[in-house]
Amino acid sequence: MLKIPLVEPGTVGPCPVASDALQGIKRQQTNPARWNGAGWPAFVATLRAGGVELAEGSVACGVYATDAGGTAYGLPHGVVIARNAGQVSFLLKTAQTHRVPVTVRGGGLTTEGESVAFGGVLLDMIGMSRVVSIDAAGLTVRTEAGIFWHSLAEELRRENLDYLSAPLNMTSSVGGTLGVGGIDVNSARLGCSADQAISLQVVTPSGEIVECSDSENGELFQRVILGYGQFGIITEATLRIRPYTPLRMYYYYYSSLRVAIEDLQILDRNDASDYSGILTIMDCAVNLLVAFDSDEREAAFHAHWKSRLRGYGETGFALCMAGHYALRPWKFREALYLLQRKREVFPEFRRAEYMRDKKMYDRTVVFSRAVWKHWGSKQMVIPDLATPADKFIEAVERGNAVCRKYFTHYTLYCVGIKLRPEHLPHYEMSCIPPGAEGWAYGCEFEPMIEGGIYSRDHFQSFKNAIYDIGVDMGASYYRFGGMMKGYIRRVFGDALVDRHLAMKRKADPAMILNRDVIF
Amino acid sequence: MPATLAKAPAAPRDFAACSGCSLCLLVCPMWRRHHDPRLTPEGMAKALQCGATAADLADPVETCSLCGACDPVCPERIDLSGMVMELRHQLAGALPPPGLPPMERPALFAELQARMQHEERPAGPSQVSLRSDTVFLPGPALRADPAFLERTVALLNLPVFADDGDDIALALELGADIPQTRLQSFVDSLRGHSIVAADGLLLRQLRRWLPGSKRMGLGAALCSRAAVRSNLAATDLYVIEPRACHADYERMVIYYNNLQIEIGCSLSLDLQRIAIPASAPGLRHRLGLAAADDDTQARWILRGRTPERIVVEDLADIAAFRRITDIPVVHLAELGGDPTMIRKTARAFN
Ligand SMILES: Cc1cc2nc3c(=O)[nH]c(=O)nc-3n(C[C@H](O)[C@H](O)[C@H](O)COP(=O)(O)OP(=O)(O)OC[C@H]3O[C@@H](n4cnc5c(N)ncnc54)[C@H](O)[C@@H]3O)c2cc1C
Ligand code: SF4
Ligand code: SF4
Repeated sequence: MLKIPLVEPGTVGPCPVASDALQGIKRQQTNPARWNGAGWPAFVATLRAGGVELAEGSVACGVYATDAGGTAYGLPHGVVIARNAGQVSFLLKTAQTHRVPVTVRGGGLTTEGESVAFGGVLLDMIGMSRVVSIDAAGLTVRTEAGIFWHSLAEELRRENLDYLSAPLNMTSSVGGTLGVGGIDVNSARLGCSADQAISLQVVTPSGEIVECSDSENGELFQRVILGYGQFGIITEATLRIRPYTPLRMYYYYYSSLRVAIEDLQILDRNDASDYSGILTIMDCAVNLLVAFDSDEREAAFHAHWKSRLRGYGETGFALCMAGHYALRPWKFREALYLLQRKREVFPEFRRAEYMRDKKMYDRTVVFSRAVWKHWGSKQMVIPDLATPADKFIEAVERGNAVCRKYFTHYTLYCVGIKLRPEHLPHYEMSCIPPGAEGWAYGCEFEPMIEGGIYSRDHFQSFKNAIYDIGVDMGASYYRFGGMMKGYIRRVFGDALVDRHLAMKRKADPAMILNRDVIF
Repeated sequence: MPATLAKAPAAPRDFAACSGCSLCLLVCPMWRRHHDPRLTPEGMAKALQCGATAADLADPVETCSLCGACDPVCPERIDLSGMVMELRHQLAGALPPPGLPPMERPALFAELQARMQHEERPAGPSQVSLRSDTVFLPGPALRADPAFLERTVALLNLPVFADDGDDIALALELGADIPQTRLQSFVDSLRGHSIVAADGLLLRQLRRWLPGSKRMGLGAALCSRAAVRSNLAATDLYVIEPRACHADYERMVIYYNNLQIEIGCSLSLDLQRIAIPASAPGLRHRLGLAAADDDTQARWILRGRTPERIVVEDLADIAAFRRITDIPVVHLAELGGDPTMIRKTARAFN
């Protein structure tokens, strides 16, 4: 019989998931148990006496009931909107004393409930959305960490500047992204968003306000970067930025995913493009995006690399497909779907107001609006895998087979992530797969729900099947936000997880901060 | 609002469809000013999903300026400004809780109701002989400045429609009831005409009430006159009236894009190509119950920009900019110096 160990309230007991514990067991989504509310009134009284505004009630809490994933549901006891580091510090100190869990939320774009509070306080970081200062000469920006990347881009553009890399999603917050990774179509050259952070202001779980960087309080910095909010709340960040440049986009079409990935990796290895990524439409219609913001690299691409790519241009591919389906008339539904996607989605990427002289302005706006319009819904089911370069094709093909089994239509989004040797300590127990050198590769598997009705179990089984590939191949999960707690030990092993758990216990004695995410 | 005319086919989805993507929040002036997720269209939509009532949402509903910026960005095609108008309507009609005295309404409501019930509206002016004529609805702000109105009318070379629906526009703003007979007579009188309206909110509703009609905001109409357009300069900052722009966004975003390419001026658009309102007065401000709007919006439009001149479509924006800058601010109508150059052109109509 399964023995459930007694756990002291406010602490986390031994992990019941042994490395092989879940094999063969039919899995279902299980939300963490809701915190029991012990001591809540005294906690609230202390907070309010200290001038912190805390909202309670079904509406105030209900709006935070789920995240972008829409499969995990939980209610906080109360909500605090972050205003400044002092307020966050007071909140955490009080929470430690009263052993009240605090769940931090930025854009809330997690998909496994990591930014959902199962009781306790939900701290909404987007209240801290000011840009503190821009150093145009030194190419850095200091910003409050609740700011959305898009709002940061708006401010930077007034000085003709831009951030380096951020999720292709305008409403991810800076703090939430630095905590989980952040992949852009330029990550194969520039690394993930977390690599762009120079220093952070962090409120530790016990409420200290600490400035940290690789050279100042380096250990805290290394744990907070890519740390899933376990070791502190990021309240401000100094990031590298750059002059703004529009892009010239090229699209190549493939009928083989494998060939497209090989070409993507050739481009990345040879530093042959500024931006690159793969977006599939169907198994037999795969789009490799190649883009440039530097004329030299674009010229070099045309001189040396373009002819080596095995993909077709749009017209060439349309002709190929026409021939393909003419010989297979029974596949007319597939052809119709392809045509429909082309008609609906392609114009989004060519809207006149974002194009000048054949260059695309504000790619994140273009991509993000298209993503939300064509893939968005109340349930974003996007499990992902991150692997070293040499294992990537196998991981993607296996993941693609899982998609085929569970859904009629789906999209894969693949991108490279340049690794910085000097950032190795940041990568420990993170989305960066152990053992990756040079580049890691990420693939996101996104079913097209298309108004279909699927049970939560169906979604969850699908995600588990993808995550299982990661365990089997020794991979990681490139947003990692997509990784479920039950997988952590299986992926990283007991020794590493226990070491991090010991650090967590030391930093967060009452285990209150984002406690259901990792440990 | 009478259901027959107010519920429009152009509003295909309601708050229940909100996925929480936050795209609407990025463009909302309430958000820019307060950085409070409750004071956003997303906050309202999600709260309604959780069972909030109009009374629970009184703060954001009254703070909203009905600029319409949130409508075109919503990937779920939720009619967000329509949602706020509906909530205002519910608030305006809300009964006090049992046992409490009747709620205090500003006298404006009663006056407006009386006007709409009793006032005999003049028919269109005699120049409007054909149903196909384009007519101009100037609205109260222009009417309050007869010289300016005369200049505008000369530039547009359009007849002023005597019933410009100012009471209906005000009722829309306040959430007051519009008697069915009043609305019907207004809409019927405009049927068949092409319409130029200075009030962006009225224009928004006319799209629903008169589907298929040709409508245009004052800014686009003036700008289609050569006398005006030829005086725009690449060094100008052109400030768009947001309501009219967002009410017909798909067409207007292309229109302004072309204007920018032609003139080279900068526009008051954000990176999502949404018109940034230069001021964002909420209901209380419009009712005179709150102090004037602050300068957050106008300052944000100007941040990092050093135009030689600011050209506005909306008269109210002149004051907003003059409060914060010495850069000359002019209305589009002031650009058309030489009335002999006025050419009648229907180019900007669809
Ligand atoms: C439609 C869609 C598209 C996406 N596209 C991309 C993409 O292109 N690239 C990519 O990399 N990701 C993508 N993602 C994933 C998502 O954008 C990232 O996970 C994102 O960076 C999370 O940011 P957030 O602000 O939403 O964080 P949240 O989801 O709010 O939080 C993430 C984690 O960090 C913690 N946290 C939040 N804020 C802080 C803080 N200030 N300090 C400490 N901890 C904090 C939370 O508790 C949580 O555990 C996408 C997601 C969706 C739904
Ligand atoms: S209409 Fe304007 S002010 Fe009102 S919610 Fe929408 S964007 Fe915000
Ligand atoms: S843009 Fe639409 S779907 Fe997205 S948060 Fe706003 S209301 Fe909801």
